[in-house]
Amino acid sequence: MYKIIASRMIVPNMHILTIEAPVIARQVQAGQFIILRAEEEGERIPLSVSDWDRARGTITTIFMNIGSTTSRLSQLASGSFIPTVVGPLGNASEIEHFGTVLLIGGCYGIGSLYPVARAMKEKGNRVLVVIEARSSYLFFWEDRYRVLVDKLLHITRDGSKGLKGHIGRIPEILTALDEPVHRVLINGCTFCLKRGSDATRELGIKTVVDLNPIMIDGTGMCGVCRVSVGGMTKFACVQGPEFDGHEVDWAELAQRRKSYMAEEVIPLRTSKCEEHAHQSEEVS
Amino acid sequence: MQFESLVAVLEFAVRKEEEAAEFYTDLARSMVQPHIARIFEEFAAEEMEHKRKILIVMTGRPGWIPQARIKDLHVADIVEDVVPSSDMGYQQALILAMKAEKAAYLLYMELSSASEDDAMKDLFYLLAQEEARHRLRFEVEYDEQFSGEN
Amino acid sequence: MTEKKVLDLIRREMPKQPPEVRKFNFNEVAFGYSEELAVEEAKRCIQCKKAHCVQNCPVEIDIPAFIQCVADRNFAEGIRIIKQKNCLPAICGRVCPQEDQCEKVCTLVKKEGQLAIGRIERFLADWEARQGHVDMPEIPEWTGKKVAVIGGGPAGLTVAGDLILRGHKVTIFEALHKLGGVLVYGIPEFRLPKAIVNREVDYLKSLGVEVYTDFVVGKTQTMDSLLEEYDAAFVGSGAGLPWFMEIPGENLNGVYSANEYLTRLNLMKGYLFPTYHTPIKAHKRVAVVGGGNVAMDCARSALRLGAESRIVYRRSREELPARMEEIENAEEEGVIFDFLTLPLRYNGDASGWVKEMIVQKMELGEPDASGRRRPVPIEGSEVAVPVDAVVCAIGNSPNPLIGSTTPGLLLGKKGNIEADEETGKTSRDKIWAGGDVVTGAATVILAMGAGRKAANSIHEYLMGGDGE
Repeated sequence: MYKIIASRMIVPNMHILTIEAPVIARQVQAGQFIILRAEEEGERIPLSVSDWDRARGTITTIFMNIGSTTSRLSQLASGSFIPTVVGPLGNASEIEHFGTVLLIGGCYGIGSLYPVARAMKEKGNRVLVVIEARSSYLFFWEDRYRVLVDKLLHITRDGSKGLKGHIGRIPEILTALDEPVHRVLINGCTFCLKRGSDATRELGIKTVVDLNPIMIDGTGMCGVCRVSVGGMTKFACVQGPEFDGHEVDWAELAQRRKSYMAEEVIPLRTSKCEEHAHQSEEVS
Repeated sequence: MQFESLVAVLEFAVRKEEEAAEFYTDLARSMVQPHIARIFEEFAAEEMEHKRKILIVMTGRPGWIPQARIKDLHVADIVEDVVPSSDMGYQQALILAMKAEKAAYLLYMELSSASEDDAMKDLFYLLAQEEARHRLRFEVEYDEQFSGEN
Repeated sequence: MTEKKVLDLIRREMPKQPPEVRKFNFNEVAFGYSEELAVEEAKRCIQCKKAHCVQNCPVEIDIPAFIQCVADRNFAEGIRIIKQKNCLPAICGRVCPQEDQCEKVCTLVKKEGQLAIGRIERFLADWEARQGHVDMPEIPEWTGKKVAVIGGGPAGLTVAGDLILRGHKVTIFEALHKLGGVLVYGIPEFRLPKAIVNREVDYLKSLGVEVYTDFVVGKTQTMDSLLEEYDAAFVGSGAGLPWFMEIPGENLNGVYSANEYLTRLNLMKGYLFPTYHTPIKAHKRVAVVGGGNVAMDCARSALRLGAESRIVYRRSREELPARMEEIENAEEEGVIFDFLTLPLRYNGDASGWVKEMIVQKMELGEPDASGRRRPVPIEGSEVAVPVDAVVCAIGNSPNPLIGSTTPGLLLGKKGNIEADEETGKTSRDKIWAGGDVVTGAATVILAMGAGRKAANSIHEYLMGGDGE
């Protein structure tokens, strides 16, 4: 069992969870993820690691409340326990001295992007960060970014902060920056990753995306996380989760992500009373 | 493609084997995992062995006897193309190799049927058969290794 | 002169759920022998002086001895004899391919009346469980040595069981949240109830085996760092990347690897969705590609989830690699078999779900140099088969995580760990390996056999020998 050290809603519908997991905290690198189950009957879901404290033996993850597992997770109080946390899984981000890097985080990706920004900075890169959300009240960790990176820019759908629009406006940002960018890295939902990659394709800047397909075991055994990259099938859990955004087959990934959209929320709507009723009917 | 003489054909064939060996050697160098690198080194060695066979023909010593039509399991026709990458596995390596052999076979067969000179026709046919034999070696290995339960 | 025994050549059948009932539920198919049936069957054994059955058992159980105990109704002694060699009898009694091992060389096989050794083994294990208390063997004093076992499947469980009984401290590191490996994620409930696996795992824990689940060696901690704490390690990390046929359409929704399909169902209990939260789709027409035990498990599971279920296999019935018992069970339940059939590609609908498979008819070619008749396509025989799900059950390569993170560990072409067949020793000092990670997909008992040999070698090494 793994203890929840802290749990709270960080912005509407977005949660931050700190879990005691010393062996994971000791090993985890930027770009890696964990798989957890929120309860004994629960599904295994992958979540990116947004921060860790090696000394205290804790890891932190930020997620959006969208399905039955994340809903359950978001209701967990500090001090409670969950049955499974396994990691760190996937390969660490490729961190080198690239020169100037532009890091883009959309909604929950603002969280998982943070360790990447930190590691890029440690390698001596000039680090520019763009965070994107529907509105300014959905931003978080701005203070942490501000003290860490060389420049922090915003895009909001409603224009309440920074540029109005979405990640498709990255080329304008690049033009305005008026300095060479050697690598772009995007964290966020599949739509955000795709639009971001589309936007940089013509500019010819290498763009790395952190993919988030459906996973079960996370160790290369089940193959549900397969994605087509550069015309070849890759297993995101062991060969990713980072891939070249210009090589990913986005249509296929979006379709595969949707496979269980209907089922994801069914456990939420199933009342235990109904189940018990069925069971007693069977008995009688 | 025009060839002046049988020697020119053989020189072409030697060059093709050398190119193939080089291709595999380069791939071997770019592999992340040493056990996959070794596979491509083996493939490269097999191409060099072909080159040696062709050189024997060139020196006029017939050590290379044409044989009955080589069987085709059609694996190379069914599987999808492989784009080489540094993290590919044995399955992808075999697909890559069998498709390359198939392509070489088709090229020589085409050259054979386009030739008007009988000796040249035969020589191209011979070269084609050799490529087919090599393709079959990869297909059989694939059949053994990756189709046991299928 | 003793009375000459009349040979009883009639194998006692095990009562089963009728096919028309069991195809709609996930309960175990066979009920197992009653005491009477077990005793009757055991009495048929002629107690050969030279017991071929023992030689053909990968873990060398003293078969005639435990059979005699059952004939004498001394069940407690019978199970004790089995457990000297096999710490997982309830599992092996169910999933071992006895017809290829002990029963194959039974003297009675010549008259087709070979003893049902597996069924009697199963009976004894279940009998013991019903007694409510399990005899605990004596554990010797700690030798001062610690062994890490990577992977809690059949191979790892065997190594753990063997070494704890020799006084070593044993820790199992399991990547999933439950011990058992393929026994819990792969083999379905109707063939091996999970309660039985849990029972055998609990027994090992009660012997003092320490267990870390959710621990991926190679990721959570490297092999080399573990070896700073442990005197030896055994790698039994099992299956890895599933193979696909590398044909068009395999990434469509509704195309699964057998590993995914079975893991959703068994480990995650998808058949109890939404009580358990991992979904599995209720497909209407499922095609399972492959002809092994895993393919049979998938096809029979699909049937139980309400689908029309077919096996698509490119050779003929004779070549099916699955156990005959499982093939017959599948046939009885109504699984359709398309023999000499090979999928060429899958076509999807507008939203990316598979809607049909294009297959080609095959014929077996002339035997080649190796004597194998390899299937070759019949030209112009392509047809479209409507399906809404495909399960690819053609095998998998070994798990890559340890091989790729342990420098100096020699790997074979398919990424399998190279290990000595007799001892399980790898190219690295202090590391042994066995099971699917060495051989590729094989059977539970072969993995256990490899575990047994490795345990012997590890024990010798720890006690000062060189493990040879």
